Amino acid sequence: MAMSRLVASLMVTVAFALPRAGCAGSIEAQVRDSQGKPLADAAVYAIPAAGAPDARGKTVPIEQVDREFVPYVTVLQTGTVATFPNRDPIMHHVYSFSPAKSFEIKLYSGKSPMQVAFDKPGVVTLGCNIHDWMIGYVLVVPTPYFAKTDASGSARLRDVPAGGYEVRAWHPQQRAGAAPVALALEPGAARPVAFTLEVAPHRAKYKPPLDRLKY
Amino acid sequence: MRPRSLTRQAGAIKLNSLGARIVLFFVALLVIVQGLGAFLVIQANSQIARDTIDQELEQGERVFKQLLAQNQARLEQGAGILSADFAFRQAIASNDTGTVLSVLRNHGARVGANVMTLASLQNAVRADTLDAARVGKPFAYPDLIRLASVEGKASSIVNREGKLYQLVVVPVLAPDPIAWVGLAFEVDDRVAKDLNQLTGLEVSFASWTQLGSWQLHASTLPAPLREGMLAAFSGDEALGAQVREVELGGEEYETRVTPLESRPDKRIVAILQKPLLIGLAPFKRISASFFWLTAAGLVFLVAGSLAIARSITRPVHRLAEAAHSVQQGDYTRHVLVEHRDEIGQLAVSFNHMLDGIVSREKEILRLAYEDGLTGLPNRSMFNEQLGQAVRTAKRGEAPVTVLLFDMDRFKTINDTLGHPVGDQALREVGLRVRKALRDSDVVARLGGDEFAVLLATGNAGNARVVAEKIHKALEEPFVIAGQTMDMAASIGIAHYPEHGDDPNALLRAADVAMYEAKRTKARFAVYDPSHDMRRQEFLTMLGELRRAVEAGELVLHYQPKMSLAEDRVTSVEALVRWRHPMRGFVQPADFIPFAEQTGYISAITRWVLRRAIEQCGVWERSGLRIRMCVNISARDLQGGDELITQVSAALQAAELPAGMLCLEITESALMEDPLSAQSTLRRLRDLGVATSIDDYGTGYSSLAYIKQLAVNELKIDRAFVGGMEADRSNAAIVRSTIELGHNLGLTVVAEGVETEHELAELRRFGCDEAQGYFFARPMPAPALERWLSGARDKTLGPRSDVLGEA
Repeated sequence: MAMSRLVASLMVTVAFALPRAGCAGSIEAQVRDSQGKPLADAAVYAIPAAGAPDARGKTVPIEQVDREFVPYVTVLQTGTVATFPNRDPIMHHVYSFSPAKSFEIKLYSGKSPMQVAFDKPGVVTLGCNIHDWMIGYVLVVPTPYFAKTDASGSARLRDVPAGGYEVRAWHPQQRAGAAPVALALEPGAARPVAFTLEVAPHRAKYKPPLDRLKY
Repeated sequence: MRPRSLTRQAGAIKLNSLGARIVLFFVALLVIVQGLGAFLVIQANSQIARDTIDQELEQGERVFKQLLAQNQARLEQGAGILSADFAFRQAIASNDTGTVLSVLRNHGARVGANVMTLASLQNAVRADTLDAARVGKPFAYPDLIRLASVEGKASSIVNREGKLYQLVVVPVLAPDPIAWVGLAFEVDDRVAKDLNQLTGLEVSFASWTQLGSWQLHASTLPAPLREGMLAAFSGDEALGAQVREVELGGEEYETRVTPLESRPDKRIVAILQKPLLIGLAPFKRISASFFWLTAAGLVFLVAGSLAIARSITRPVHRLAEAAHSVQQGDYTRHVLVEHRDEIGQLAVSFNHMLDGIVSREKEILRLAYEDGLTGLPNRSMFNEQLGQAVRTAKRGEAPVTVLLFDMDRFKTINDTLGHPVGDQALREVGLRVRKALRDSDVVARLGGDEFAVLLATGNAGNARVVAEKIHKALEEPFVIAGQTMDMAASIGIAHYPEHGDDPNALLRAADVAMYEAKRTKARFAVYDPSHDMRRQEFLTMLGELRRAVEAGELVLHYQPKMSLAEDRVTSVEALVRWRHPMRGFVQPADFIPFAEQTGYISAITRWVLRRAIEQCGVWERSGLRIRMCVNISARDLQGGDELITQVSAALQAAELPAGMLCLEITESALMEDPLSAQSTLRRLRDLGVATSIDDYGTGYSSLAYIKQLAVNELKIDRAFVGGMEADRSNAAIVRSTIELGHNLGLTVVAEGVETEHELAELRRFGCDEAQGYFFARPMPAPALERWLSGARDKTLGPRSDVLGEA
């Protein structure tokens, strides 16, 4: 089921890119921390100089699996709707007090009782009111061109039409934002971008093991 | 000199007394030892108390810190729960100032925080429940936020505008921190009180103010003491000593200072205290017990050492008093022996000593007042008794009589039989006389052979009776060491008050009377003043006699001795006469005994010898050949050498043969010193001088004794010759004496021939020579010469002098 959705989503993306396939390029981003280590879960996004319209009708699920938000970092375009399906056998109480999007889904289980539309760019921190260690981030960006670094700290922004962009990088533990990189993307070109982010060490809050909780 | 202390009772112990010294010593010892002990104990106790208190303080401090930490943890926990409250976070996230302030107050009240402060992640105050003016200003404790951002929470004691707070800073999580909230819990007296109840310590909180002094924020101490404590800390910013003693309200507090916040500008301390008194209390009780124990000990010690001191000083005192009594002459007080200790032994020794002194004193008294030989009172005792009797007599006018007697010829016994026999004889005399008299009569031996009797109640008549008793007692012959001897006493009697009114006068009178008795050969004589006068004459005579010899007042008369066989004068006896310038002729009997007594007889003898031999020489040369007889005394005989020298010198001077001289010695003189007499007689015989025993028959000498003597002649005493007519026994004595004398080869001469009958008898008895008034009286040399020439032609007849051819 999840696989099919993923496939569907990819198909949509492909379908969206296809019309401009002949002139699209890509941005190859590499994000490292100040020690030069590859930084995962960093968001890299390119904002077109001409701007971009909000996404419409896009729905992104942010799941709760094994008392964690999955994915930990979600990057989405302004106007995207997120659902919070609960895959755990226990209830969660998802909330956000972030100015970019403040909401609350009181205790529930199963599928998301409501959809949350992220209509303002910014960082939205997700929490669960009954599981203090649960934390997730939603980065709302005003562009459809974004990607998340993998474990090797690299992210590829594909099918980016040629043109002028301001490329930015963001990471949940960053202390200060990295300077945006402005670039003009040639058609069909793969443009590398490197970011170095100073991050605080990520300290996950204590998460009690399941068996001990006996629920 | 009696020590003054002895005059006091032994009970009162004086400061300088032995007892006081003992008591003082022990009391001082106890006080010093106990004092030192108390000092050390108190020192140690207070140290222990201090250490105990310090330990308790230290423990208290640990508990205190623990409590503080627990309190802090509790507050932090509360703060954490609070900050995690969804509604709280929601309200904070709302960013509505009113809502935020309201929720801060509301939730702050839930956990009991006094002040709530909200700060942004950029350390800017967003809200403050106490002071709105702080909004927008930096949060005052950024370091707490820094700490909390790492630890998730932070807390500290802070001084906020003069008040102490426990400030807890926690993040507001959404779920990442979106703000910091500070919860301030005031540290007030209640907190101190709670801590006090849990730690048992006095708890105070103080901070160093910018004014440079300590400010007290909270304390369990009552208000008045707080000032004192601040004063104690004043100026000491560093609070150098962590532990110190602070005096508050007159009580020592062991004090420990615990820094709570030691940033230079914000020094906050907790002051933990415990009164030393609490630690010292048990020791105080011990000290009190110790004190009372010492006091009781002191009382017992004083009592005990007093008792001991008394037990020493009382017997010592008794000893001293007893010694004093002894000093006063009281030997009757024995010391009471209470204990067999050293002093008891001393007392026993003292009593022994006392007994010794008593017995020795008795012995000394006995020796002093008793005659060792006879056991009779001695002269001293007699004098004392006589004195006593005279004193009594003076009061009662009772008569006192003294009898004085000595043994006639006692020296003869001593000399012939030896002193032990003489002593024995004296003892016997004493015994007999003592036995013969009443017990009330005092019989004493005055010395030598002199005895005295004191008749305290007697009278003149009684004295005669007593004298007779004495004579009677001595009548019985004495048998001593196998020797039988006769003893006779001459007794002189003197009465008080007629003959003397004091002991000396009485004794002297008795002495005079005794000599009178001797002189008159009476058994006794009662003193008469005329005796005294005679005695007086004797005394003057002594001086006159000396002069008499030198001044030629002495003259010699010669009495012829007739040879009965030849009817002629063969010799003359030279007799000394004293032609006193005042008194005329003095009879030999009146001065010769005196001269013998005084020893002046030697001078007279010397003179007589020289004069008589000289006269003999004169007659010899004129053709008158008559042997010269000269009397010599016992004393002359004793000084043998001198006599021999004189005799030979005089004979030589007169150119006379020794045979022309005959020395006459009385029997009694021979008996006085028989040994020297014997030797002198022998030497005289060797010289060729004839010797004759004068007055034979009066001296009790035996013929056996006479035999041993180197004498040529025996002169029968006139008493026997003159008594022949009246008493036939006298004639028998004369006759037997003549016979015995002849048997011994001696010429026998009869003295004192006064009648024809006597002469006839003597002739009949074969007497060799005769002398007496019947023939001629003694006459001076010229008269004798005339008498001789006149008698030459006369025939022998009564009262006619018989002439002998030379």
